[in-house]
Amino acid sequence: MSDKNDDAKAAVNQKGPEKAKEIEHFGGPIGLDIGTTNIVSARTRGSSVHITKQLNAFFTVPASKITGMTLLKNDVLYFSQGGSYYIIGNAADTFANTFNTDTRRPVESGLLSAKEDEALNVIQSIIKTLVPPPKNQGDLVCYSIPGDPIDTKISVLHHDTILKRTLQDMGYTAIAINEGFAVIMSELADESYTGIGISMGGGMCNVCFSYLSVPVFSYSIQKGGDYVDAMVGAAVGESQTRIKLIKEKELNLLKDPKNKIETSLSIYYEDLLETLILSIQRVVTTSESVPRLTKPISVVLSGGTAMPVGVREKFEKLLKANRLPLQFSSVRMAEDPLNTTAKGALQLAIAEEK
Amino acid sequence: MAIPILVFSTDKTRGKLFSRIIESNGFNAKLYNNSADLDYAVRTRRPHIIVFDARHCQPREFQLVESFPGRFPDAEIILITSAAELPSFISAGFKGENCFSDPINPEEISLKVKEIYFIKNKAFLRIKTYFVLLGVLLKGIFSGDRDNPYIVFTKKIILAGAAALSVMVGIAGGFIFYSMSDLPKVQLLESYAPFESSFLYAADGTELAEFYLERRKFVPFYKIPKHVKQAFIAVEDARFYEHHGIDFIRTFGAFVNNLRAGDTVQGGSTITQQLAKMLFLTPEKSLSRKIKEAAISMQIESRYKKDEILGFYLNQAYFGARAYGIEAASQTYFGKKTEDLGVADAAMLAALPKAPSVYSPFTNPKKALIRRNLSLKSMLDRGFIDRQAYAAAVKEPVPEYVNRKKYTAPYFVEYIRSAMEQKFGDRLYTAGFKIYTTLDLPLQKKAEKATADGRAAFAKAGLGDVEAALIAVDLKTGAIKAMVGGSNYQKSQFNKATQAARQTGSVFKPIVYLTAFKNGYSPDDMIDDMEVTYSSSDGRQQWTPHNYTRKYYGRVTLRTALSHSLNAATVALANIVGMDKVISTARTIGITSNIYPHLPAAIGVSEMTLLELTYAYTTFANGKSFIPMVYEKITDRYNIKVEDNAPKGVQTIDPANIAKMHDVLGAVVTEGTSVAAKSLNRTVYGKTGTTNDYKDAWFIGFDDNMTVGVWVGRDNNRPIGEGMSGSRAALPIWINFMKED
Repeated sequence: MSDKNDDAKAAVNQKGPEKAKEIEHFGGPIGLDIGTTNIVSARTRGSSVHITKQLNAFFTVPASKITGMTLLKNDVLYFSQGGSYYIIGNAADTFANTFNTDTRRPVESGLLSAKEDEALNVIQSIIKTLVPPPKNQGDLVCYSIPGDPIDTKISVLHHDTILKRTLQDMGYTAIAINEGFAVIMSELADESYTGIGISMGGGMCNVCFSYLSVPVFSYSIQKGGDYVDAMVGAAVGESQTRIKLIKEKELNLLKDPKNKIETSLSIYYEDLLETLILSIQRVVTTSESVPRLTKPISVVLSGGTAMPVGVREKFEKLLKANRLPLQFSSVRMAEDPLNTTAKGALQLAIAEEK
Repeated sequence: MAIPILVFSTDKTRGKLFSRIIESNGFNAKLYNNSADLDYAVRTRRPHIIVFDARHCQPREFQLVESFPGRFPDAEIILITSAAELPSFISAGFKGENCFSDPINPEEISLKVKEIYFIKNKAFLRIKTYFVLLGVLLKGIFSGDRDNPYIVFTKKIILAGAAALSVMVGIAGGFIFYSMSDLPKVQLLESYAPFESSFLYAADGTELAEFYLERRKFVPFYKIPKHVKQAFIAVEDARFYEHHGIDFIRTFGAFVNNLRAGDTVQGGSTITQQLAKMLFLTPEKSLSRKIKEAAISMQIESRYKKDEILGFYLNQAYFGARAYGIEAASQTYFGKKTEDLGVADAAMLAALPKAPSVYSPFTNPKKALIRRNLSLKSMLDRGFIDRQAYAAAVKEPVPEYVNRKKYTAPYFVEYIRSAMEQKFGDRLYTAGFKIYTTLDLPLQKKAEKATADGRAAFAKAGLGDVEAALIAVDLKTGAIKAMVGGSNYQKSQFNKATQAARQTGSVFKPIVYLTAFKNGYSPDDMIDDMEVTYSSSDGRQQWTPHNYTRKYYGRVTLRTALSHSLNAATVALANIVGMDKVISTARTIGITSNIYPHLPAAIGVSEMTLLELTYAYTTFANGKSFIPMVYEKITDRYNIKVEDNAPKGVQTIDPANIAKMHDVLGAVVTEGTSVAAKSLNRTVYGKTGTTNDYKDAWFIGFDDNMTVGVWVGRDNNRPIGEGMSGSRAALPIWINFMKED
């Protein structure tokens, strides 16, 4: 994702040269969406919700005095480790574009990357740019975690625990919220928190079905925007970054594809959505906990991967084409798809605080 | 809610789901994930409802839940399990209607929880519950949300209510039908004939006595003054002219007031209902009786005019002091007829039927006064009387007890009552007969005075407790004109004139002579008056009759023998004519008592009553035997003649023998034992009688108009006193009575 947010001002990493400014502190509970692409924090400011975010990425450059001074001069967030400067957050994307290469991710397919040695340091550093030290020990922060992947034996426990400890070490009381449930918390208050929330992120798609705010089932599939980008890139011989750019800026799945990239994007989006709906079908029909509902429920889509024009319509069409023991009243996009998870996490934090 | 609903599930998600379903319906739910915690919670919290998720349960958990119905019978268990396992739980004793199979059906569970809670917590008793349900129902109806679980629940409640109502209506209908199955026929009122007293009148029409079961005299409604009717309406049933038998406003008011007071302080019955109860129903307090009462009331209202109903009521009601009906009450309390009652009188009577003994002016004058004035106030408030009439009425005193009954000729009254009871049975007390007797009141008073004077004379001579009886019989009709059965009826109801069988002494002798005359003898025929000893037929017993003076006159005429009451001559005569013939003669002239079938009977050893002897002498007077006649006619309550009692004398003595009897009985007065009667200065006939030791003294005689018998003696059968013969003890009373005023 290339969204830049200049609200992020400072890193608080003690290991490297710092270019940190005091993070504006509003107090109160915090909702935190730790996604594959972005980390988004949400807090209340008066009656509105205040969002801050950083790209959940880093870029390394060899450490040198000149480089260090340049980074400081340009307010770039970084830390030094093992002879390299780790440029984090939004700045990492700028550097990657400059060097015509991709940023590196501390989170892969929704979970802490096993490939990156410094993934933990990076993610902790980014979190600290978004979450100030608590005003009071034990202040609440609710952070998002993915559901257990449905098609692998991978557990989210490690990921969850690391994040919880990071936040607790900062002095917070940390509670986790499933990403899909966070969508429900954010979007389905008027429907008694009953419905299906789907967060379509870069690394995975998270699905949650809630009845009266009880998450009846939640899981993830490890396919997301990154999967589409990778598969399309490989198919058409273009870089993932370019494919991602086209996907975010131009793709309209309601229209006939104009070129092979759009054709390929259409194919892989359809594959992603089919995978998603089949997984829902599978879970709903096998769960012992899904209640028999006489009223139709809503499905809410959120996340950057759900944003291209036509994704909602395609999803709805496929959903209706598949038989499910649930009736759906509507499939709709979240009001603010990129920040829905963070807002949902904030809702839960507020509820818990009460 | 104080007691939460306990939820158990080993699956946290399902458990949370159940809890949330319950909480979403406004209940508190407490979730348990292990059986030990659940067991503890159930034991300590005693929940009304346990939602038990049996999926993935272990045997230990099954055992636990299976133990709940036995251990906690008050707790209802809602059980959720797989469809396959459901039958085994039901067969283990769990209520089928509380067991559900997957998938979880929130509506089903919600409804069940509400249903149980509704019952267990008696929510159906709270008005708030129905407001909530009504709100939900209306909201659902207007929003078209028919699937709303509240609406479904409300529908069930309404359906259940309707079903229950139908059943209740059915039962109530059946009960009403049953209650009315033996409903008395209101048409009976067409021949309304309340228990009415029978009255006894003297020959001159004076009321002698009243015989009653309920002392009542019917008065037709049109003879009841308006203000009397208004007094009762004001007190008993203000809307009498408006309702149709049942006053629902009054009934509801009474119900509310009684509910507030926690006791029956006000009655809701209308005059018509009270009438229905009085006429057709028993006083039992039962629903069945109330239903009948209502039904009869409505029938009465549809059949009769209001004034007629009021008339029935006023004639039927009990007013205390043994007075039934307004007429009897008027007479009892005021000595007036109903038509003469004043406003204050009417108000007093109107106050009585509710509690006759409590408000009786005779026994509780203060309470009666308060109650009467309340009645008057009610009349004023309803505009029946004006202030002036009210002010005047409240100043009037309540009536005081006056013994209005003067019992005249009590022995005669009792004699005739007994006769009438044999004739009419219990109808005598209920049918309202009017019995016109033969009693001549002036003669009766004369008889009472004569006997009283006689007793006074005995008392003066130191002879106390002497009783005297007298009977006067009309010669032409055989009717009893006067009867004195004793000195004090209150002290002794034993009627010495009709009930006391005493040795007759010489008053029996004329029968011997009549027998002789019938057998050809005449008063001038001779008979031996001498001491003779008679032997019984087997010769074992001997008897010698003696004359009273112990003097014997040899050959004497029959006239002399009787006039001087010679025992020896009379026995000799009886011996000649035969005692069997004597007895036969006695029977012919109406003697019914046993007669000793041997010679001593000729001089009066057999016991007889004054009544039968007086009638025997009546036969001597005119030759006719009469059955004692005590009444001339009887009419019913409508004054229609029931019986006309014409004299029924049977000629049993021919004129020649009548003359002979006049001859010998006249000689008794002119030359014999009763010469004192000559003082009457007119021709009279009679015979004295004295028994051994002066125990009984008799004189029975007649003139041209009537036969009069007098007996003197003591109740204990002891001697009256030395020398107290018939001529000394009885004759003076007879003469006193026979004297012309």
